[in-house]
Amino acid sequence: MNNNINFGIDLGTTNSLIAQFKNGQAEVFKNPVGFKETLPSVVAFRNNRIIVGDKAREYIEKDPCNVFSSFKRKMGTTDSFFVGSLGDFRTPIQLSALVLNELKNFIYTGEKPASVVITIPASFDTIQSNATKKAGYEAGFKEVVLLQEPIAASLAFANKNYGTPLEGRWLVYDLGGGTFDVALVRIQHEEMKVVDHEGDNYLGGLDFDNAIIDNILLPWLHDRGGFSECCTDLRSAQSKYNKLYYLLLLKAEEAKVSLSLAEQADIEFEAEDDTGTVQELFLTISRSQFNDAIRSKVSYSVELVKKVLERNKLTRDELSKVILIGGSTYVPLVREMLAAELGIPVSAEVDPTTAVAAGAAYYAGAKPAALQPGLNDIIRATDSAVNVKMAYAKTSRETDEYFTALISGLPAGSFYRITRSDGGYDSGLKPAAERISEILSLQANEVNAFTLKLYNHQQDQLPVPIDTILITQGKFSIEGQPLPNDICIEVDDVVNNTTRLELVFEKNAILPLRKKIVKTLTKTITRTNSESLLINILEGSHFSMPASCIPIGIIEINGSKLEHDLIKGSDVEILLEMSESRDLHVTAITLMNDQEFGEVFSPSERHINLARLRSEVSGILFLAREELKELEEREHFEEAAVTLRQINELEEMERQLRNLKEDDVTDLKYQVEEKKRRLSRAIDSKDKSSAIAFVKEEYFREKEECQYWIGQSASPSLQSRFEKLVQKENDYVNAGSSFVLRNKIDELRQLSWEVRKKDPSVLMGAFHYYATQPMGDFRDQHQAKKFIEIGEKAIERKNYDELYVALMQLYIIHPDSDRRKNPFSGTGIG
Amino acid sequence: MNKELIRIINQVFEMEKKIGTRPEMSTLLRNIERIKAALEEMGLSYHNPSGEKYSETRTDCEANIVGDLQAKMIISDVIKPVIFEKTDSTGRVIIQKAVVLVEKQSNE
Repeated sequence: MNNNINFGIDLGTTNSLIAQFKNGQAEVFKNPVGFKETLPSVVAFRNNRIIVGDKAREYIEKDPCNVFSSFKRKMGTTDSFFVGSLGDFRTPIQLSALVLNELKNFIYTGEKPASVVITIPASFDTIQSNATKKAGYEAGFKEVVLLQEPIAASLAFANKNYGTPLEGRWLVYDLGGGTFDVALVRIQHEEMKVVDHEGDNYLGGLDFDNAIIDNILLPWLHDRGGFSECCTDLRSAQSKYNKLYYLLLLKAEEAKVSLSLAEQADIEFEAEDDTGTVQELFLTISRSQFNDAIRSKVSYSVELVKKVLERNKLTRDELSKVILIGGSTYVPLVREMLAAELGIPVSAEVDPTTAVAAGAAYYAGAKPAALQPGLNDIIRATDSAVNVKMAYAKTSRETDEYFTALISGLPAGSFYRITRSDGGYDSGLKPAAERISEILSLQANEVNAFTLKLYNHQQDQLPVPIDTILITQGKFSIEGQPLPNDICIEVDDVVNNTTRLELVFEKNAILPLRKKIVKTLTKTITRTNSESLLINILEGSHFSMPASCIPIGIIEINGSKLEHDLIKGSDVEILLEMSESRDLHVTAITLMNDQEFGEVFSPSERHINLARLRSEVSGILFLAREELKELEEREHFEEAAVTLRQINELEEMERQLRNLKEDDVTDLKYQVEEKKRRLSRAIDSKDKSSAIAFVKEEYFREKEECQYWIGQSASPSLQSRFEKLVQKENDYVNAGSSFVLRNKIDELRQLSWEVRKKDPSVLMGAFHYYATQPMGDFRDQHQAKKFIEIGEKAIERKNYDELYVALMQLYIIHPDSDRRKNPFSGTGIG
Repeated sequence: MNKELIRIINQVFEMEKKIGTRPEMSTLLRNIERIKAALEEMGLSYHNPSGEKYSETRTDCEANIVGDLQAKMIISDVIKPVIFEKTDSTGRVIIQKAVVLVEKQSNE
């Protein structure tokens, strides 16, 4: 890091921002709560807490004795604000210092700048400028450099290097949420200078919103009838229409934003009319209506611009451009009227909201700091004198929970603040005492994480390590008990020609549980064919093969139960509810015909579907034979002998099942099912160290290769698919299921292939492999000859798309495509 | 976060809100549930805080206070919901604050 100031702050009348110059760019920081770049310059003193920003702004009108805004206008005056809740005064400097301190919290890097550039309006005199500097010092900065806002905006423009460079004279037109400023800037003797300025502290975007209400919405309501008192009473706090005012204000703002992009905007709202009936109201506003509503306001701003030009006796030819800043310059009429009435090119290229902060950062990035950069307090040695002991309920059924802490060794005038990690709770800054307490609001059914931070009197964070406050809401009860195993649904993995487990409820989740999932049918089930849909719910690790898990409920939907045929690709909605006593209620709705199927499965009864059992045994047998082949190839004869014995057992089970009737009254099917699970686990499990070791080795090799190919492709979408695929690698690798690992290997291969197939040499190599295979190996020799011929011609013509098609066709008719394909009937859902 | 996706979620929320007041449209709730389930698979969810207590420590809402300020305020209308996104590090974060109207509790 260089020794330049680097940090720039736009300390605005309405909003403030902070930015940093880094690697040649200005980065505007975002509020960690809500992720907005702007912080409303509003300070509230409510219930012994200091709140700065959005939350404070909400109370401006309702609690004017304790909430203060636009104090920038009073900088450099002797005016002070009486704070009712404190019974004391606060100066504009102190309020500005609070805003500056809040902005420091936006710096996610943990840096604590000692030096900073702060922008001031062009209209600020020496006293006002000095007051701004003082606010900076009160906020803990050791060095404050001031920069005029129009200069900052011009620097942002110049650094973005849009179109023609800045030269001669230009105007900076700044129309914000509540204020308007125009400045005439020029370069003279290599120096950028504000020559003249004009402004109105009560003109901005909020006036446009109110203009929509007054000129469009209220007349429309009046003409419609039924809202007779609305036009007069809308803004009265005691009126029944006051709620409608706030609603209309929000809708007007939305419409204004839409109309900046589109020719018309819809406004839709509900309101209670004079008789108390709720009316659903809808109207469309055109941009021309909007323009007519705000024209006088925009025209007034243009008049102020003209005043500056007249005062300086300038013609349009003497000005190079008008740079637009401030959020309200997004409005097309502003740009159109300026261009039409001034006849000067209007530039809207810089981000109007962040331009001043960005410009300040650019300036700061080139300005050497008189002081050494501040040390990062967070990484400084911890303050061992301070000791914090916290007490709170770690679980709660309530929507808010009491928290208390004993703090010793704190310096006088310290503060504390508690925030929730998702950004939904902020205690505000509160004076810290030996004992502090708060009511923390909780998000339902979540683990709520709160952070307690301590600050000194200058609101610099004290380096005290404090544990995160964790409160689990709603998930614990006296009756509630955790699930001993994962509950999964078996779904088809059509690509790998097998089935796999999809997690429904995770182990240790607290009962009762409920989840709705939507799955797609992987086969067509007609009222006459023999296909059926199986909703098979199993208990066991979701990183194992389905056959190893305990079946807890199965619903079979076959043609005879259907009112209409179900087509492959249609959806089935499955609702799974598990009670505290672990009764499982499964409801399936086939969405194509809206037919509902439901069943309740009790944990004390086992449900065996014979057809499914037969299919599973065949599947395990296939895997066992594959494994035997591999073990023999690698000469692991001891383990091969074990696998052979397992194969014999499975073959015997297959025979037993073949002879078993659907209505068999003995418990043979239960015995076979149990044996199947045992054998499935044994074949799939990590007990077979060699077998698992081969698969793990293959997995990591495949992963490395996939990573290489994705790196070659430089495709962010493939990279993100890869990351998703290996996201839970530790879990599935350690689970030790060769079945799951093999499926992962196949997925990695498919991903690699997506990159490799774009490489002509890879395609040609693969084609050459199939073209030189013995003709007798192909299932259809006539087709094989045809596609070899097509492929050869495609290579000659360098038509690689055609070569790819030929290659795929050859693959399909070659026994390679049957490799590792087991007998598969599936569940019918995927 | 994709702004268009947030706009879509806001529309789903509005549909759900409208359907809630029209029993004749209740069959559409199933479709809404399905959209919500799909959003959840993408790591996105929303919450309607209507009827919940309101205080200045709630930073999950942007409130517009209707009428006079009282000690006990509730969220009386929700224009936009709270939208959450799942993250690997912190569980989930708020990517859109709710836009709400707040009023005194009617039993006061």
